[in-house]
Amino acid sequence: MAGVRLEHVYKKYPGSDKASVTDFNLDIQDKEFLVLVGPSGCGKSTTLRMIAGLEEISEGKLYIGDRVVNDVAPKDRDIAMVFQSYALYPHMNVYQNMAFGLKLRKFRKDEIDRRVREAARTLEIEHLLDRKPKALSGGQRQRVALGRAIVREPQVFLMDEPLSNLDAKLRTQMRANISKLMKRLETTCIYVTHDQTEAMTMGDRIVVMKDGFIQQAATPEELYNHPINLFVAGFIGAPAMNFITGQLTEEGGAVRFKATGINVVVPAGKAQLLREKGYIGREIIVGIRPEDLHEEPVFIEASPNSVISATIEVSENLGHEMYLYLNGLGKDNVIARLDGRAQLQEGQTVKLAIDMNKIHIFDKDTELNILEA
Amino acid sequence: MNAPVEIDTMTKTDWTKTGGAKLAEPGDQLQLEHDFFLVTKVETNQVQVLRTKAKLSLLEKELLSWIAKQGTMMKTGNVSASELERQARKLGEWLQQSIDAGEWRVEIPERFELHHRLFDGMIPFMLMSEQAENREPSYGELEKVLRSYLSDDMLLVPLREREWLILGSDRLLAEVETYEGDLIERGETKEALVSLATGLHEMLTEEWGGDCHVAVGEPIIPTESLVYSVAMLRETIYLGRKFHVGMHVHMPWLVHLERLLSGIPEPVRARFMDEMSGRQDLFTDPETVSTLDAFFAMDCNVSETAKRLFIHRNTLLYRLDKLKQEAGLDVRSFNDAILVRLLMLLYKVTKRK
Repeated sequence: MAGVRLEHVYKKYPGSDKASVTDFNLDIQDKEFLVLVGPSGCGKSTTLRMIAGLEEISEGKLYIGDRVVNDVAPKDRDIAMVFQSYALYPHMNVYQNMAFGLKLRKFRKDEIDRRVREAARTLEIEHLLDRKPKALSGGQRQRVALGRAIVREPQVFLMDEPLSNLDAKLRTQMRANISKLMKRLETTCIYVTHDQTEAMTMGDRIVVMKDGFIQQAATPEELYNHPINLFVAGFIGAPAMNFITGQLTEEGGAVRFKATGINVVVPAGKAQLLREKGYIGREIIVGIRPEDLHEEPVFIEASPNSVISATIEVSENLGHEMYLYLNGLGKDNVIARLDGRAQLQEGQTVKLAIDMNKIHIFDKDTELNILEA
Repeated sequence: MNAPVEIDTMTKTDWTKTGGAKLAEPGDQLQLEHDFFLVTKVETNQVQVLRTKAKLSLLEKELLSWIAKQGTMMKTGNVSASELERQARKLGEWLQQSIDAGEWRVEIPERFELHHRLFDGMIPFMLMSEQAENREPSYGELEKVLRSYLSDDMLLVPLREREWLILGSDRLLAEVETYEGDLIERGETKEALVSLATGLHEMLTEEWGGDCHVAVGEPIIPTESLVYSVAMLRETIYLGRKFHVGMHVHMPWLVHLERLLSGIPEPVRARFMDEMSGRQDLFTDPETVSTLDAFFAMDCNVSETAKRLFIHRNTLLYRLDKLKQEAGLDVRSFNDAILVRLLMLLYKVTKRK
């Protein structure tokens, strides 16, 4: 097993004046499950492909363990990859699919058999070993692809959106399976996804990328509760964080945040920091997670300084929870996530209280989180 | 033969000095005053010969020569890698010359040593490597990996730099199926070919060591139509790389429209894009692109597209309505769908300029 280290790694394609990956620095610990997440074109797959050896590194150094592997061929990097397409070898049965790589590397027959059967047992596909890929379901194929990687017993697993071809239910199930499997195998895993739910539920640590740059690398909790900038705050969390542009004013010793339909008091601790940093009187962006808007009378009563009123444009009741799309707060719709039992109708005006202790405040120009900087 | 037989190895220079032919090949014979030599194996700098003092008749000599040749040809495993490579390179050069001369329908002449292996139905694959030069593996290495994947009767023919033709037996198609004996429909053949090519690409990426493009054609009798197949597969990879960046497996039957567009003169294409001015901005949004890709892949079927994208039907309709509002093109109408499809393909080409 081994860690992976990227030092000032760049990827520039010929003919392009902009780097696809810029100054990527990251130390991935041995046995860590690291997730690279970001929107399409952010450079996450390119980074993974550089680690795999499928893309050349334009600048910088890549270490697997203590070895610099910039010029080492993919097959000699002691890695195993699982791609989105998880193409199986269609003319071979499951056993042959899993054994292929080992056979090519001239492993002994009994060792191949041991590894294949052990991986099959782990993935619960022992009963499928004689089947051809065509006779397998999507989830079963996925597990065979994983099995093919597992039997190699590599130092590092690389996975590029391995679940995106599966339907939602299977994806949730496989998500848990992969997490469990990686914990059991105790192998370093680098996992690429555009799905922030996948990232949050699977990663020991998450790297959020945008335009080829690392935005933030942190644990899921850290990213959710302490996003470093507007992008990370908006990217992590579903439904996404609400952003409201408004002004900070000081009235009667209290710092207030004012925007269309909003006039609330900023808690003392946050207010002090904003004063010190000179934000009073300036335009800022406030970020509110949908679950930090409350309609419970007890909460409203306890938070008289952060109550707002808005009209429900659309309500989506998912049973256990309800999403309200609210009008009249700032420029865009604001989404609130409430208990599914709340009796609220579209067109109705609703009174909500903001949990001001949990708001995030961003500089309008730099988009950095003022309270985290 | 009533006389001792020895197996000797000599350098090619010594073989020539002894009186042997300059370009030694298995089956070559040489009769000196007391010794008879028969070439059994040719390597890069050496030849392996059978040597005997037996007095052989002409018929016996011819028989031995024939056995030596057959031994080489029947079992490719017995052919030294360099010998097979030499034969394959010769065929590859001829293929290239025929394509350059525009003789796409010409049959493979019998003079090629590999001619006898090209009579059975075979699946043509083309491989184009994108590896850095210093990582390019030898013919033997690649052949070994491919043989493990496709079976021993495959043939690897080097074409141009980093470009190979791979011929695999069409029996592979039956192996893809889970049942035996049934006739495979044409549609299923294509499906099986796609899965073989996709598997081949994955195998090469993982086990051979690098990024590559693979194209696959329908099974052929190589002696009859190999030149045409090679030209078509080469064009398929070219079109696939040009119009479908990010895709690595290409099929000739999926690039008809791309071939047509590629043949349209640049000024005409530019005029079309000018007339559609502003509308191509839509394709900068990845969500719009993925929605449209799926919509066209599902033959403009709303329910199937929604299912494929794992979104609600109404969400898809909302996206399509938004597109209609912003671009004035409703992809649910046949004429607009054609325009958007063309725009998308051309946008992929022009945006990289």
